[in-house]
Amino acid sequence: MTVRELAEQLGAEVLVEGDLSREVKTGYAGDLLSWVMARLPESAVWMTVMGNLNAVAVCSLKDGACILLTEDAPLDENAKQRAEVEEIPVLRVTEGSYRTSLRVAALLGEMP
Amino acid sequence: MRELALNVMDVAQNSITAGASLVRLTVQEDSAADRLSITLEDNGCGMTQEQVKSVIDPFYTTRTTRKVGLGVPLFKMEAEMTGGSFSIRSQKGEGTVLTAQFVPSHVDMIPLGDISGTVRLLITCNPQLDFVYRRIRDGREFVLDTRELRQVLGEVPLSAPEVSEWIAGFLEEQTAELLREETS
Repeated sequence: MTVRELAEQLGAEVLVEGDLSREVKTGYAGDLLSWVMARLPESAVWMTVMGNLNAVAVCSLKDGACILLTEDAPLDENAKQRAEVEEIPVLRVTEGSYRTSLRVAALLGEMP
Repeated sequence: MRELALNVMDVAQNSITAGASLVRLTVQEDSAADRLSITLEDNGCGMTQEQVKSVIDPFYTTRTTRKVGLGVPLFKMEAEMTGGSFSIRSQKGEGTVLTAQFVPSHVDMIPLGDISGTVRLLITCNPQLDFVYRRIRDGREFVLDTRELRQVLGEVPLSAPEVSEWIAGFLEEQTAELLREETS
């Protein structure tokens, strides 16, 4: 599934388009950046409330597929600009990371 | 990071990479003012104003100089998340002073963690460098200065296991004494 398809299926707001054709292979949820930095799987959709520049850096470093902000978390302006430069899609939903993870897992066929 | 001590370890590596021969780490707590500050000062190669900006920007650092990494940006973020502040002063050829101020009562405060362990590891793993660790709490303090240790040790290196053991014991004892609540 591509980031574009995922966004459509979730009804997510697209804050930064970036590379929407990027393949999403799995998902990951977490907010402690140093923790995520060690664990975010490649090509994962990353569910978090951290919409700052460091989050964009973590996604870039780990080659995540996109950032999915949950609970309508804000995206900082400098983070938005950097995500555009790095072509990292940033999506946003109203639901929390727990419920969003369930929906993403169902869409990716990864339900436990 | 889960502990600020891990972040101090990470950021101190920058001082070592910068060729510092002396690194000063000061941890200062002021309970009444609800402040905790961590200051790292080195006499390494220092940075230009342009470089100072770049270490705060996680991209510049992750993309061009892997050595620096996200250590400084995360440290800054952690301080600011508690309502604290962060600053770097640096002079090319002179060294760098980095200060992070935290508000410990804030819900997003990350625990200081095993700072004594960090100090011990920094000293033991870099026996050629000198460290001055100063811990201050509400006007009382203790200091560990490896330059003084060297005078006592003579030829024995700072990396010797018995020295490392002694450092651990000293830090544990002094920290406990410092953190002991005044009994009224």
